Amino acid sequence: MTTINSSQDVEELRIGVFVCHCGLNIAGTVNVSDVAKYAKTLKDVVYVKENRYTCADPGQEEIRKAIKQNNLNRIVIAACSPRMHEPTFRRTVAEAGLNSFLYEMANIREFSSWCHQNNPVEATERAKDAVNMAVAKVRLMQPLQTLEVPVTDSALIIGGGIAGITAALDLAEQGFKVYLLENSQSIGGHMAALDKTFPTLDCSICIEGPKMVDCARHPNITIFAYSDLVKVDGYVGNFKVKIRKNPKYVIDEKCTGCGECKDVCPIEYPNEWDMNLGTRKAISVPFDQAVPLVYAINRDYCIECYKCTEKCGERQAIDFDQKPLEVEIDVGAIIVSTGYDIYEPYDLPLLGYGKYPNVITSMEFERLILAAGPTGGKVIRQSDGQKPCRIAFLLCIGSRDKNKHSYCSNYCCMYTLKHVVQLKEKYREVIEVYVFYMDIRSPSKGYEEFYDRARERGVIFIRGRVSRIDEDISTHNLTVHSEDTLLGSPISVEVDMAVLATASIAKKDSDDMARILNISRGQDGFFMEAHPKLKPLDAPTDGIFFAGACTSLKDIPYSVSQGSGAASRVAAVISKPKWKIEPIISIVDTNKCTSCGICVNACPYGAIKHEKSQPANIIAASCHGCGTCVAECPSHAITQMHFTDAQIMAQIHAALQNNPEEKILAFLCNWCSYAGADLAGISRYDYPASVRVIRVMCSGRVSKEFILEALRLGAGTVLIGACHLPYDCHYINGNHKMKTRTDTLKNMLTKMGLSPERFRIEYVSAAEGIRYAEIIKEIDKQRKTIGTKQIKEENEKLRPLLERLLKTKDKNFKP
Amino acid sequence: MPYKSSKQDSSDVLTLEWVLQVKNYKLTLDKHRCMGCQICCLACPKEAVTVERQLKIGEKTLKPKVDINLDKCNFCGICDVTCPFGAIQVTLNGVHNLALIATKSYPKLERTITLDPKECPKTCSNCETACPFQLIKVSKTGFDGKPVEDIHELSLTEKRRIKVSVDIKKEYCPTCKICEINCPPKTLRVTKIFEGKIAIDSSKCSLNCHACVDVCPIPNVLTVDTDGKVVVNEVCCIYCGACKNVCPVEVDALLVKRIKVAHERVHSGAWNKALEKLTSKRDGVKALKAVASIKKRDIVIKRLQDE
Repeated sequence: MTTINSSQDVEELRIGVFVCHCGLNIAGTVNVSDVAKYAKTLKDVVYVKENRYTCADPGQEEIRKAIKQNNLNRIVIAACSPRMHEPTFRRTVAEAGLNSFLYEMANIREFSSWCHQNNPVEATERAKDAVNMAVAKVRLMQPLQTLEVPVTDSALIIGGGIAGITAALDLAEQGFKVYLLENSQSIGGHMAALDKTFPTLDCSICIEGPKMVDCARHPNITIFAYSDLVKVDGYVGNFKVKIRKNPKYVIDEKCTGCGECKDVCPIEYPNEWDMNLGTRKAISVPFDQAVPLVYAINRDYCIECYKCTEKCGERQAIDFDQKPLEVEIDVGAIIVSTGYDIYEPYDLPLLGYGKYPNVITSMEFERLILAAGPTGGKVIRQSDGQKPCRIAFLLCIGSRDKNKHSYCSNYCCMYTLKHVVQLKEKYREVIEVYVFYMDIRSPSKGYEEFYDRARERGVIFIRGRVSRIDEDISTHNLTVHSEDTLLGSPISVEVDMAVLATASIAKKDSDDMARILNISRGQDGFFMEAHPKLKPLDAPTDGIFFAGACTSLKDIPYSVSQGSGAASRVAAVISKPKWKIEPIISIVDTNKCTSCGICVNACPYGAIKHEKSQPANIIAASCHGCGTCVAECPSHAITQMHFTDAQIMAQIHAALQNNPEEKILAFLCNWCSYAGADLAGISRYDYPASVRVIRVMCSGRVSKEFILEALRLGAGTVLIGACHLPYDCHYINGNHKMKTRTDTLKNMLTKMGLSPERFRIEYVSAAEGIRYAEIIKEIDKQRKTIGTKQIKEENEKLRPLLERLLKTKDKNFKP
Repeated sequence: MPYKSSKQDSSDVLTLEWVLQVKNYKLTLDKHRCMGCQICCLACPKEAVTVERQLKIGEKTLKPKVDINLDKCNFCGICDVTCPFGAIQVTLNGVHNLALIATKSYPKLERTITLDPKECPKTCSNCETACPFQLIKVSKTGFDGKPVEDIHELSLTEKRRIKVSVDIKKEYCPTCKICEINCPPKTLRVTKIFEGKIAIDSSKCSLNCHACVDVCPIPNVLTVDTDGKVVVNEVCCIYCGACKNVCPVEVDALLVKRIKVAHERVHSGAWNKALEKLTSKRDGVKALKAVASIKKRDIVIKRLQDE
């Protein structure tokens, strides 16, 4: 084995290794004492200790004690994923007086014990290798100083639903400036369109309206209604946000909201706020309580008769020449509370939505029963305008359905109960109400009692999923066919109207939003929180937080509490004068830099500036630490702190120390693939233990040399795991850079005789644990099919080429 | 049921509809009345109306086909008001009562047809037979109030006591003046909706296609003379532009120009825009100036009266 030159100081290395049992989580599969014994044999390791729970107080205390007593200057903790406890142990190490960047974690829980439960021997081997790799890396680590940046004490809230409104008011009350961005004409969200709220049957707009008005009146809140988010630049504490105010053709400051213009406007169009059941004028507000109360002209329908201008007269509030206006604001943190959309079941033809006039969705029913709605609160059939006497409510339309959306939409049971109680209390005995349900889910305060109330009112509950609705062509009455699973027999009920409780789905434009904000989405389309249990309000990107239904569906009380929660999370950031940022940024060696300018183009954040014939200059506060520039630099002049070429090379060498042909060497990006691999462990998906993982912040960091060196050392397969193309990359486009770079390399290597299966690029998101397990299984199978013998032969054939390619490179790469 | 917009196209009518829970907007285009002219297409503020030239079938060129784009149409009813043939009708919940007219956002076209039936000769019903659109019904009642069956059987005194009434369906009348020409005592007076100009440059018109002659809705406005050239009789031309729609010659072989439109007085941007498109920028401005000077005159008169 070749040694790696270290350019570091000559202080004597004293490494301490702590192996965690995690109760039986690790110790139940991995032979922990074997791992500890192995760790003792490694170079420079002077202290090894096993802990039952390293993250618990006694465990942390033991680390601090050991550092002081044994003069340890490098620490390796073999425990869970660094995505879980890296910050915890950084603090521990710092408390013992050591620089917090002189420690490394070996992931032996998510990556060993949990994913190889049926194979303790190999799990232990993998754990040993993980420790070896961590020790190899930690030996080359250097103390780093955390950077501090100033913080702007204002916040942007995207989405003015009830969660956004609550967050805005909470933050404004604490004295922070708040910008509330709403893309429709009025804030209020879905709640403002509801009639009543369950289980108290409060009038929805009566309780939300005052909050909306408070928002408009609060001196610390600026509302940008009818506006879009264009661009977000910067980082935690220092976001630069570009907002486009779409033209309303009415001047905000001059409009008094009198509504005289509306009365003279001759044009009407379907009102989306009324679920298109009614109409609104071409100049109008969507509903009477709209905030801000500023009229807007819909130029798609306006015929420009200027009757409104004439009526507005001296107020001169109408301006047909208004143009979109772009505004730039500085904020310290962002709350995303964009909410959800409602599924329209046009693609379920057996239910006849869109075909039978008397089949409506729950949201349409909501607008029908609302006194301010298009029918003035009368529930009437569209076919004949008559009041229905028999109504069927169908639950779980599109939700809890493997073919549509597999999740439960959370509140449909409850709002359907609200509708049936409202009907029964409004029309008494003259109305028959049927509810077809799978399960009634009523878990919160007062919900089960509300269910009882519905049953006491004589609502007929039928447990069964509706298979089909038929319509009588002459009367437009409907026959609902289902199975009564409690009786075990089919059932058909003739009704006058059917109401579908349709699923709530991720916002249509959440893809764009995710791209602008650099946040990721789960398989169901909703945004992904940093941790589903411990960080439910945080986005993976620092300084961005979530509130309400944009991460998963929530009812009103839950959204309100999330709004307040997100406000306090934001306050934790913007109340500080300075924010610390991770020093894992890139730095340029000015002696080596040839001023070629390649890094300037490679940087997704424009953090690198370079003048002709001057060395490149990296702006520390703008650098996000992806490392793409490092991999792109042709003269190896750039180094990413904490992920240096030497450190990663050392990890490669350690990983491929024994039987390299049987190993899969995987470079996984921290945000998607590594998280996906973690999820495979957390979900206990079993996969072959031949994989060895090197964590990089972004797949863009993976240099060609890493791959060449791994193959030179004889690796069975090299895998690069990245975020999904095109937009999932946490660093905007690191995955694209990686792809272009490796595509050419792969082409060349395959031409030189490498089996294409031995060099894989895969895209795994943080939500795709099962996919990661499947990929590893597949790669392992392919590796076995090729066979160790052929791999060795290929390696021999490639070796001269690889050595020649590596020889020309930096000394760190010299074999 | 969600909001539904639909379009149905049959050989008789083209129907566009918005069906909402409580409202139903409907636009119907009567294809028999529609002559494929330029007017609605130019007037539409949303550019939803298109006119398509038809293929020549047999000897005769078919009139152009008017189509309305459902996505662009906002059921404002401007086409309904402006159509000289009354071929389009926009209704809300089945009622033909346009908000456009009620709010004075657009003017009604003025069809000035004056007639004193007392002056009508008792035996004459020329206008009824002459009207190319069968819009005139001449009815005669005797002294007993019963309709006259055969006028020649009546005695002279009885003839004298006949009451003539003329019923004209004004809303469909394109004001072609044929009835006026055929009225022997010249008691029927028609003022055209559009004033304008039509001319054919026979040097440029060389194709001998006569498509304009085929589609012209008014008989004898365009005729073919003995050497195959198209001749214009401007007296009855309504300047609808149907001929222009079918003329295959790119350069201005056929010129149709509208200069003035007779309409009720309104104050509306939508009308100003339509007027500009129906006539020309210059003529539109001219018309507006005329309106403005009338207004000024009225103000002065009012002031003088007050003094």
